[in-house]
Amino acid sequence: MVREQPVMSMRPLVSVIDDDESVRESLPDLVREFGYSVQAFSSAEAFLASDYVDQTRCLILDVSMPPGMSGPDLQRELARRGREIPIIFITAQGDEAIRPRLLKGGAIECLMKPFSDTALLEALHAALTVN
Amino acid sequence: MLFLTIEFSNLATEWMEGENVADSDKSRDVPLDSSVPTASLESILRTEELQRRPSRAPDYEKENQALVKLVSALADSPATIFRTLAETIQDITQCDSAGLSLLTRDGKTPHVDGERFYWPAIAGMWKPHVGGGTPRNFGPCGDVLDQNRTLLFTHFERRYPYLMPVDPAAEECLLVPFYVNGKAVGTIWGIMHSDRRKFDAEDDRVMASLGKFASSAYQALAHIEDLRIQVAEREKAEAEVRELARGLKAKVRRLVEANVVGIVTWNLEGAITGANDAFLRMVQYDRDDLASGRACWTDLTPAEWRGHAERAVADLKATGIFKPFEKEYFRKDGSRVPVLLGGALLEGDGNEGIAFVLDLSEQKRAERALRRSEAFLAEGQHLGQIGSFCWNVATDEITWSAELYRIYELEMGLPVTLELIRSRVHPEDVSLIEKMKMVDPAREGGRDFEWQYRLLMPDHSVKYMHAVAHATRNQDGQLEYIASVQDVTARRRAEEARDKARSELAHVARVMSLGTLTASIAHELNQPLSGIVVNASTCVRMLASDPPNVDGARETARRTIRDANRASEVITRLRALYSKKDPLPESVDLNEAAREVIALSLSELQRGRVALRLELADDLPLIRGDRVQLQQVILNLVLNASDAMRGVNDRPRQLVIRTEREDDRARLTVQDVGVGIEPHSAEKLFEPFYTTKSSGMGIGLSVSRSIVESHHGRLWASRNDGPGASFSLSIPRSPEGFPHSDAGRQGLGTVHVGTAHPRVPESLSPSENKMPCEFQLGMTKPIKAAANQPIENEP
Repeated sequence: MVREQPVMSMRPLVSVIDDDESVRESLPDLVREFGYSVQAFSSAEAFLASDYVDQTRCLILDVSMPPGMSGPDLQRELARRGREIPIIFITAQGDEAIRPRLLKGGAIECLMKPFSDTALLEALHAALTVN
Repeated sequence: MLFLTIEFSNLATEWMEGENVADSDKSRDVPLDSSVPTASLESILRTEELQRRPSRAPDYEKENQALVKLVSALADSPATIFRTLAETIQDITQCDSAGLSLLTRDGKTPHVDGERFYWPAIAGMWKPHVGGGTPRNFGPCGDVLDQNRTLLFTHFERRYPYLMPVDPAAEECLLVPFYVNGKAVGTIWGIMHSDRRKFDAEDDRVMASLGKFASSAYQALAHIEDLRIQVAEREKAEAEVRELARGLKAKVRRLVEANVVGIVTWNLEGAITGANDAFLRMVQYDRDDLASGRACWTDLTPAEWRGHAERAVADLKATGIFKPFEKEYFRKDGSRVPVLLGGALLEGDGNEGIAFVLDLSEQKRAERALRRSEAFLAEGQHLGQIGSFCWNVATDEITWSAELYRIYELEMGLPVTLELIRSRVHPEDVSLIEKMKMVDPAREGGRDFEWQYRLLMPDHSVKYMHAVAHATRNQDGQLEYIASVQDVTARRRAEEARDKARSELAHVARVMSLGTLTASIAHELNQPLSGIVVNASTCVRMLASDPPNVDGARETARRTIRDANRASEVITRLRALYSKKDPLPESVDLNEAAREVIALSLSELQRGRVALRLELADDLPLIRGDRVQLQQVILNLVLNASDAMRGVNDRPRQLVIRTEREDDRARLTVQDVGVGIEPHSAEKLFEPFYTTKSSGMGIGLSVSRSIVESHHGRLWASRNDGPGASFSLSIPRSPEGFPHSDAGRQGLGTVHVGTAHPRVPESLSPSENKMPCEFQLGMTKPIKAAANQPIENEP
C-alpha cells in the first residue's frame, strides 16, 4: 500500500524508473519502508514529462529500457538540462563491466539484480548524504 | 590277236590313199556274173607239179644266212620284219614278187577269224600293191587256209577276177600257210610273173621253213605289240598321275604362294630346306639365310620349347605326322614370335617333311588384353569391395567372383549353395538371391532387383551389403542374372558416425548458444530473484514496523511466491532445453513451439528493441519430430534476426514470425528488416562455422539445417523485396514412423517406394539395427546401379 506524502514533507523523494512491472510493484514498498517517499515511472520519458523532476532527490534507474531512452541516456539528458540528480543504476544484465563504467560516469552506485535490501539502503544513504 | 600299230597305221594310210582294189566294199561290187567266166579252183592249181618238177639243189648256206639275217632283223628292227621277210623270200626263191598275207577282220585290226587277208609287206614287182588283199572266202589265201596246205596257183585271176587289175599277172604263185598256236593266221607267197622259172619242191621246202619263221615273227611282233600297249597304258596312267600331280601341285603352290600361313619344308636333321615368304617374314630371315643354311630349326627354337620340338619329332617318326602345337620362335633379331605349327613327313619313312606355321601374335595380344582387362576388373572389384555373381535360372548354378568370396570371407572356389550363403547372411535378413527366388519365380521375363542386407561374420561383426541384379540372356538364350554386391559397411559406419557427430554437434550447439542466451537467461532468472529479494525484504520490514503492516506484508509475501514460481518455470524450461536426451518423436505444433521460443527470448527481443509480429496460421499441420530441436532452430532464427537489426535506427525493427500451410507441409518464416544477405552467399550462411558476427557462435545455421533436414524438411534463406532477409523452414507432415537417423542422406537404401518396410521400428534405438529397405523396380524403370547415385523416387 502506497501512502501518498505531501510534496513538502521531510521525506525525500526517490523516483524509480524501470520498464519491468514487477520492479515497479515491489521496489517502491521497500524504499518506503526505508522512510522515503517514492514515485514510480515505466520509462525515462514518462519521468521527464512528469512534475516530479525537480523534486526528485534520487533516482533508482534501470539501465536498459527498450525501446525508449536507456538509463545512461536519461543521465545525459538531465546533465544537459543542468539538473544533476544522484543516480543508483539497477540492472539485470550479467555484464560485470557495466558497473565501473557507470560509476566512472558519475553514478552513485550500480546494483546487479538480485541485490539485497541492505545494499540498496547503503546506496540510498550515499546518494542522499551527498548534498 | 594284236597287231603292230605302226605297220597298221602305215598300211591304213596307204590303203585309204592308194588305189584300193582290195577294199571289201569294192570287192563285193565285183560282179561274179557269167559275163566274166571264172575258172574252177582245180584249173588254176598246179600243186602236184611241185614234186614232179626237177628240183634245184638246196643252197643251205644261203638259206642259213638268210635265216640268221631274219632273226637279227627281228631283234633289231621288229617293226619292219615283214618287209625283211618278204625280201628274203624273194631273194631265196629268186621269184619276181614275194609277200605275206595276214588274216584280218576289218582291214585294220587282225583277227583270227577275220574276213580278209591283206598284204602288209610285198617285195618285188608287186610292191606297189602293198596294203591290198583278198577276201577270206574267195581267194587264193583263203583256199590255202581252207585246205590247210601249200598250194601252187597259176593265173589265179582266172578264178578271182578282182585280181586282174593287180599286175603284172601271176604266172605262178606259191602260197604257204603259217600258224600261230595251231591256228592259221596267214600265208607267205612268192610269184613268178613269167615262165622264166617254175617253182619246184625246193621252193616248197624253203617256203615252209620261212613259213615257220613267219610264225615266230608274227608271235614276236604280237608280244612286242602287247608290251607296247602295256607301256602305252602305263605311260597314259603315269601321264594322268603326273597331270593330277601337276594340278595338285598347282593348287598347293597357290596355297604356299598365297602366304596366308607360313609353309616350310625341312629335314629331320633340323635344316630348313624351303619356306614361303610368309614364314620368312615371320622370323625375319631372308632367302639368302635359307639358301646358306643359316636358318635352322634348332636355332629358331628357344631352349624352353626344345622338349616340345623333340616330342614332335618322336611323333613324326612314329606316325608320320605331328599334330598342331604352340611354341615360340626366335626372330633374327632375337625377339620372339608365338606360333602354331603342324606338319608331316613327305614319305612315310623319309627324312624330309613339310609344315605349316601360323603366327599367333595377334591371338596372344588379344589374350593378353583380355587377361589385362580381367585383371582390371578383378582389381576394380577389389578396390571398390564389389563382388559379383551370376545365377543361371534354368540350371540354378551360381558363380561367384573372387572378390565376393573375399567379402563373405569364404574359401575361394567353394561351390556356391544356399547353405553356404546362409552360413554368412544375418539371421534376420535374406540375401539378394534368396529374395529373387522368393519374389519372382524369376523364371519368366526377369526384372531387375536392388536389395540391402547384412552379413554376420563368424567373429560376430556385421557387414552391410548393397546388391543390384540385372536380368540378361546368355549366349544359349537362357535367363541369367548378373549381380553386383558391394560391401558398404565402411560407408554405413561413416554415416552412423556422422549422424552421431551431428547430434553431438547439435547438442554442443545447443549448449554453446547458451552463451547468446546468457543475457536472456540471466535476465529471466534475475527478474524473479530480484523480485523475491525485494518483496521478502519489504515483508520483513513491514512486519517489524510499529504497528506491523500485516496487509502489506501479506501482499509482499504473495509476490514473493509468485516470483519464485516464475523462476522455477524458467529453470524447468531451461532444463528441458539443455538436456542431452535423445530426441523423441512427438507431434509438434509449430505455432506453439514458436510461442514458447518467443516467451523464452522476449526480454532479449525487448533489449534489442525488436517489434515482434506474429502471423500464425490456424490450419498449420502438425509435424512429427523433436519439439526441443525444432524450438532450437526457431530460437536460432529469431536471435539471428534480432542481431541483424541491431544497427537499424531509421525504421522500426520489425520481426515477423509467420507460419502457413503448404499442401501437407508446415512452413515457418522469420523475417527481419536488418542488414539482409549478400546475393550469392545465401548458401554460405549454412556452412559450419560461417559467421558474420564478431562474437557469434556461427554453428547455429549449419546445425539448424541438419535438424530440419532430419525432419525431411528444408531450411533456406532469401532476400526480402525490401530490406532484410527471411529464413524459412518447411517440414512435411510425416504420417508414420520416426524418420531414420540416416534419412535424408543421399544414398541408396533410403528411398521408399510405397510404404516402408514393416520391419522398421517405430522408435529408433541407438543401435545399428537399421533395417534394410526393400523396393523392386519394374522393368520400365532404369536402375542407377552405381552405388553412390541417388534414386529419384519420391513417395
